Amino acid sequence: MLASDGPDEDWVRRAQAGDRKAFSELVRRHQDRVYRYLLRMLGSHDDALDLTQDAFVKAWQALPQWQPEAQFRTWLFRIANNTALDTLRRRKLVEFVPLEDAFDAPGAGPDPERQAQVTQEVRQLEASLKRLAPEHRQILLLREVEEMSYEEIGRVLSLSEGTVKSRLARARTALIEIHARSR
Amino acid sequence: MNTAEQCPRTEALSALVDDELGEPDRMALNAHVAGCALCAPVLAELRQLRIRFAALPAVVPGVDFATLVDRRIAAAGAPKPKAQPQRWRWWQVAPAALGGALSLSFGAYLGSALLLGSQVAAQPAALQMAAFTEIPPGALCPAVQACNPMGR
Repeated sequence: MLASDGPDEDWVRRAQAGDRKAFSELVRRHQDRVYRYLLRMLGSHDDALDLTQDAFVKAWQALPQWQPEAQFRTWLFRIANNTALDTLRRRKLVEFVPLEDAFDAPGAGPDPERQAQVTQEVRQLEASLKRLAPEHRQILLLREVEEMSYEEIGRVLSLSEGTVKSRLARARTALIEIHARSR
Repeated sequence: MNTAEQCPRTEALSALVDDELGEPDRMALNAHVAGCALCAPVLAELRQLRIRFAALPAVVPGVDFATLVDRRIAAAGAPKPKAQPQRWRWWQVAPAALGGALSLSFGAYLGSALLLGSQVAAQPAALQMAAFTEIPPGALCPAVQACNPMGR
């Protein structure tokens, strides 16, 4: 019996042998991150709900191809990212529907003025993110929200570290420009 | 005062924000930015962007995907993750390879035997060409000269 705090790799090996409970443990460990990423990529709670499930089902089917050298999280994000891009391509979406109001910024303390300011900043950032090209949005989310290193981002997006570095800089510049125009 | 040509590219500043530069590069860049009126505001803006991202709300789905995913896997007939393609060992393929080689050899033997046989039965070329003479073999001679142009 595995301890529930054991490394992902142990659970993946069990899941590879067909153990669905082990796979459920992996889903629980990573579901919030995958959902969060897909929500910000697609801009819709319903889409993120569907695609998160799709990504995990695809991961289950692709488990035999998982190699121990790959971190499970990186491998999973690769699948989630491809799932998001496939959907965006299918819909040919460049601009996205607004995030639902259910995802308001949390309160920034008891000061209502400060709270309103933070909410406004978050809304502006979310609006600017939606206007970014998908390849810029994905790399920024992986870096700023998922806090991945350049090496890990490179593995998720199949890019060299040099390309990650330059694309991140371009994505930031583009976001700053969009943000400045919207002010 | 620095000119834009002397300044590092934005990607170096972006990597500085991400702490993805080696120590010597990081120190040199920090020293440059400290005295550069062009790069300092760019770096400040990149850092500000990072702060804005950190303020993004934590999004929680409020759904147990494990149950949903497991249901979908079960509903799809729960095919166990596809097995790795089997690797063939030499002793597993040896009987088939031997059988194939024997079949090919036997076929080659039969083919060559047929060719040899047809050569033995081959008629002389002159006899075969007789079919195209004025009076083909088996036909009647209307006159002696017709069948014997020499008149003999």
